[in-house]
Amino acid sequence: MSGETPMVLLPLGITAASALAVMLAAAVRGPTPRAATGRAAEALSVLGLAAALGSQLAVAGAAPRRVTPLFVFDGVSSILGAVVLASALAVVLLASAYLRRLDEPWEEIYALLLLGTAGALALTSSDHLVGLVLGLETLSVSLYGLVASVRTRGDEALEAAMKYLVLAGAASAFLLFGVALLYASVGTLELPALTAELSAGTPAGSELVTVAGLAFVLVGIGFKLALVPFHLWTPDVYQGAPAPITAFVATVSKGGVVAFLLRLVAAAGAVARPEDGEGLFVVLALLAGASILVGNLLALLQRDVKRLLAYSSIAHLGYLLVALLAGGELGPRAAVFYLIAYAVTILLAFGVVTILSRAEQEAGDLDAYRGLFWRRPILASAMAAAVFSLAGIPLTAGFVAKLYLLLAALDGSRFGLVGILVVGSVLGLYYYLRVVVAMLATPEPETAASEPVGASGGVALAGLGAVLIWIGVAPSAWLRILGIWLGG
Amino acid sequence: MLDLLWLVPVLPLAGFLALTFAGRRLAKPAVTAIGVGSVGLSSLVAGAVAAAFLGHMPPGGVHRQILWRWFDVAGLRPEISLHLDALSLVMILVVTGVGFLIHLYSAQFMEEDADFARFFASMNLFVAMMLVLVLAGDLLLLYLGWEGVGLCSFLLIGFWYGEPANVLAARKAFVVTRVGDVAMAIGLFILVDRLGTLDLQAVVARAEAQWAPGSAAVVAVAALLLGGAVGKSAQLPLQTWLPDAMAGPTPVSALIHAATMVTAGVYLVARTGGLFELAPSIRTAVAVIGTATLLLAAGAALVQRDIKRILAYSTISQLGYMFLGLGVGSASAAIFHLVTHAFFKALLFLGAGAVIYACHHEHDIFRLGGLRRSLPTVTWTFVAGAAALAGFPLVTAGFYSKDLVLWRAFAGGHFLLWGAGLLGAFVTALYSFRLVFVVFWGETGTEAGARPGWRMTVPLTILAALSLVGGWLGLPAVLEPVLGAAEEMAEPHGTELLLQVLAGVVSLGGIALAWALYGRPGRHGDPVADALGPVGRWWRAGWGFDALYDRLFVRPYDAVARALEKDPVDRLPAAAAGLARGFHRALALTQNGRLRWYALSLAAGATFALYLVLTL
Amino acid sequence: MTGAAWPLLVHLAVAIGLAAGMMAVSHLLGERHRERATGEPYESGIVGTGELRGRLSINFYVVGLLFVIFDLEAAFLFAWAIVAVEAGWAGYAGMLVFLVLLGVGLVYEWRQGALDWGRTRRAIERALAARESSRRPVTLAGVPFERGTPVGTKGRR
Repeated sequence: MSGETPMVLLPLGITAASALAVMLAAAVRGPTPRAATGRAAEALSVLGLAAALGSQLAVAGAAPRRVTPLFVFDGVSSILGAVVLASALAVVLLASAYLRRLDEPWEEIYALLLLGTAGALALTSSDHLVGLVLGLETLSVSLYGLVASVRTRGDEALEAAMKYLVLAGAASAFLLFGVALLYASVGTLELPALTAELSAGTPAGSELVTVAGLAFVLVGIGFKLALVPFHLWTPDVYQGAPAPITAFVATVSKGGVVAFLLRLVAAAGAVARPEDGEGLFVVLALLAGASILVGNLLALLQRDVKRLLAYSSIAHLGYLLVALLAGGELGPRAAVFYLIAYAVTILLAFGVVTILSRAEQEAGDLDAYRGLFWRRPILASAMAAAVFSLAGIPLTAGFVAKLYLLLAALDGSRFGLVGILVVGSVLGLYYYLRVVVAMLATPEPETAASEPVGASGGVALAGLGAVLIWIGVAPSAWLRILGIWLGG
Repeated sequence: MLDLLWLVPVLPLAGFLALTFAGRRLAKPAVTAIGVGSVGLSSLVAGAVAAAFLGHMPPGGVHRQILWRWFDVAGLRPEISLHLDALSLVMILVVTGVGFLIHLYSAQFMEEDADFARFFASMNLFVAMMLVLVLAGDLLLLYLGWEGVGLCSFLLIGFWYGEPANVLAARKAFVVTRVGDVAMAIGLFILVDRLGTLDLQAVVARAEAQWAPGSAAVVAVAALLLGGAVGKSAQLPLQTWLPDAMAGPTPVSALIHAATMVTAGVYLVARTGGLFELAPSIRTAVAVIGTATLLLAAGAALVQRDIKRILAYSTISQLGYMFLGLGVGSASAAIFHLVTHAFFKALLFLGAGAVIYACHHEHDIFRLGGLRRSLPTVTWTFVAGAAALAGFPLVTAGFYSKDLVLWRAFAGGHFLLWGAGLLGAFVTALYSFRLVFVVFWGETGTEAGARPGWRMTVPLTILAALSLVGGWLGLPAVLEPVLGAAEEMAEPHGTELLLQVLAGVVSLGGIALAWALYGRPGRHGDPVADALGPVGRWWRAGWGFDALYDRLFVRPYDAVARALEKDPVDRLPAAAAGLARGFHRALALTQNGRLRWYALSLAAGATFALYLVLTL
Repeated sequence: MTGAAWPLLVHLAVAIGLAAGMMAVSHLLGERHRERATGEPYESGIVGTGELRGRLSINFYVVGLLFVIFDLEAAFLFAWAIVAVEAGWAGYAGMLVFLVLLGVGLVYEWRQGALDWGRTRRAIERALAARESSRRPVTLAGVPFERGTPVGTKGRR
């Protein structure tokens, strides 16, 4: 270990330490709700994540460095770590007003959010199957708790958490089995060594085991990313979970997994022999195509905004996978760029949902958005911007990201997937615009109480909106940073 | 100073945004301040830019300002830039200057209107879009401005949407100009396809390098661009929308349908002059269209009874002169006439607006009369405008600009066109002073009620002054470096002088005839229309174009639409939508909320993946 | 790998066919009768008492969880103790972090009242106050006293 090594571990350390500090705040609080410790937990989380993000950006862009066999800190981990931390920060800021309205203690929610973030952060830099399992489990176990964390949500949240627990457990089992198979056939758990072994040619007879192992690992990852056919849990969990937690599931938990997938695809791509490398790519392409079509089709007539965004996230991860499959120099870049645009957009959308929601009655149904433009023009504009970005309409982040993705896919001659992507985008327009139509409709007589945005929520929304438009209007700077960090 | 150029369109745009989002909550003085002030500031900036530009002419006479480069990925590099040369400089000065005066005038004219803020928001948006149009560095941005002003025109013609006729007029204007816009869009597509650029300078340069004069591609492009110009500038055969566009408030007619938007077609042809130079046949077509339009519209103006329709036909006719100028290869003469026309036609519309304002919205000139006594300021400024329109010799701007157009036609050897233009000038003098004598002289008709205040008289006075002295601005000399010098004078200077005298005599003759027919007391009815009989009624109906188009296009279209009412063609898209919906229903069944089913799908998916990787 | 395809395909078909066939055959041939005891759970002949879904106090689970955690801690400590000297200060620091983490967890549990068996007087008072102030079901450590509706059967699209 060189002297600088602890620096790259700093973001992870700060995040984990903040989680611990928040736990202590909860311990100080005791069994009854107390405003002071709640505020303290909130402040600790915001500060901790901000500090972690700061240190992440400070160490980003350095030469790739391996810390213990488990982790490698390179361009991918720099960018996606920053995405994870920034998303978590946005979630924490957005959650503030929602959580303060609860009449139950909420410090544990912050602790779990921070723990989950730490897990996702570990995932972004894990270059080892054990690192993958560690990160993924830290993230998942936090999520089980988070989904059920608001008691006032009642049975709905419990049901969602239960489903998530059982299915994620099953998916983890697949993942672990896959890891075991890989180890059995290749004898190593490190991705670089694995790649080297595979490209050197596996011993005869163990090819089947290797490929099967990779496939099972892919099942575990596909579940996390909610790719079809491992997507069925998504709408129920998105709908049942408290709105800010849904935002967390949709962004932070995806960011880390995408990082690992990037490494895995790179490793599998190194196994360039068509007879066993190709099978994996066919599976990924099928997953991508199915996710795009099924996600968009399921969202088509959906009336619940949270479910709608769930289906939309299925489709968007499908888009992202297209970029990954395109390969080449553009492919990974387009995928990372797409993830950034998607995270900003979906956070903005769920941010609006969060602000409009109360734990006991969340702003799920489309009717809650009827006439929002006339009642709360700024919130409605933010929602419209997010929806336009999801639909990929110019001058939003979503458009530039999708354009970049298309260029990458065409560059990689993935014409079939491009066709599916276009069909999916057309389907998407229909249901995204329905949200806008609802917001423009004549307002109902004041039904829902109008919740205040809150200072931190306002800051987060304004920041997300600004970034969304910034990427859409002048993406050059972003693309340049991406090029520098991923170029090496 | 030149770096402030971007402020010129942005200021009115900011005004539009402010008024759109906060207009309902603002008091009228605040709305006025924003609406008028934004255009006023913009005109000040334009003035400063002009001073800087003329003081230190940038190299090549062109100043380019890149506002924004969207992105730069894989060779795709969309950017937005402003292009300032003498031509766009003249245009922005006219748009902001005349625009400001008309905004000021509107502050009083529209004061009683409930939708005061909406009016100014639309007007500001219009000015912003018009500025985008004339400052655009490439044809795509120009097209954005082009459609933007079309939209504003639609919104403002139908401003009083309570009246169905107004909405119909707005729709007509929108649809008819759309015909031209489609042609223009196709022209742009061809340019992109063949030349790979829409940049103003690059297009002309590459066209000259790539296309032989008179080759099919350049003729097609020029013809299509001319189609767009014809629609926007209400030339034959797309002139029918402009008279109906008078349904909008009078300041709108003054700003959009006289001074600025309708001249966009002229601007477009002047701007892409290099393409027309390569297509001589189309350039001749420009001249012929212009001449035919100017005669037809002058004839129609002669027999109208509605004060605003007279001015509308007169606008079409004057635009015909500009096209004539473009067609005979003298864009600088055309732009010169554009500028003077902007002054005097805005003045005439504002004067007409003042009359209408004072006389309880009376539009029929034969029910008005003798307003000379009750509205002296309006009368004298109106007379100044009418004199400029009629080309009253020596002391009016219109005389110089119109004469320059005619002289260039003559000098270019287009004697027939020159003769027709001279005839048009005679009719112009006749109808403009028919209007003056009927409305302001003779017996008193409708009593003048409200008196125009300073916000109306100040713009009138300034525009009257400009209509008189605008001819001495020496604009052609400024414009010629951009638009190309006039062709070698074929005739000696003496001929020019002779023709000037002839034009002056024709103008005076027209005015004298108008006095003889309409000015003297004891007139009964409308002598010209009576003399023309059924021909006069035909002309009053705009030469029957509306009826013709109704039979030729509208009714067949209606019939086709009715035949397709059940949407047989829509079946296919509807089937696609139905298919999507069916898939949605089928897939929704999988989301049954049952954990065991979800787990089953997980296992099935894993099995399938495993099967695939093992078999492939 | 195309060589492996056919046997696999056959295997897949046989597996599915066999399972489906067995179910179909038993469905067609199987006896069907409905007596009093048919639907009851089979408990080796002993008549069942009460429901399967009876609830246990949450405290059992909490204590069970605590036991597992601290048992594991002890197991870790043993493992470390054997190599304590070789692991050196780095190992010591690592172990210390681990202990602090567990300590924080313990403090948290304690403060939450997870170690109090049964309902304390304060808890009862709070529950009663809550019942009066709102119509929401009274809870202790997150579990409603009233029987909740079963989870996982709501079909929603």
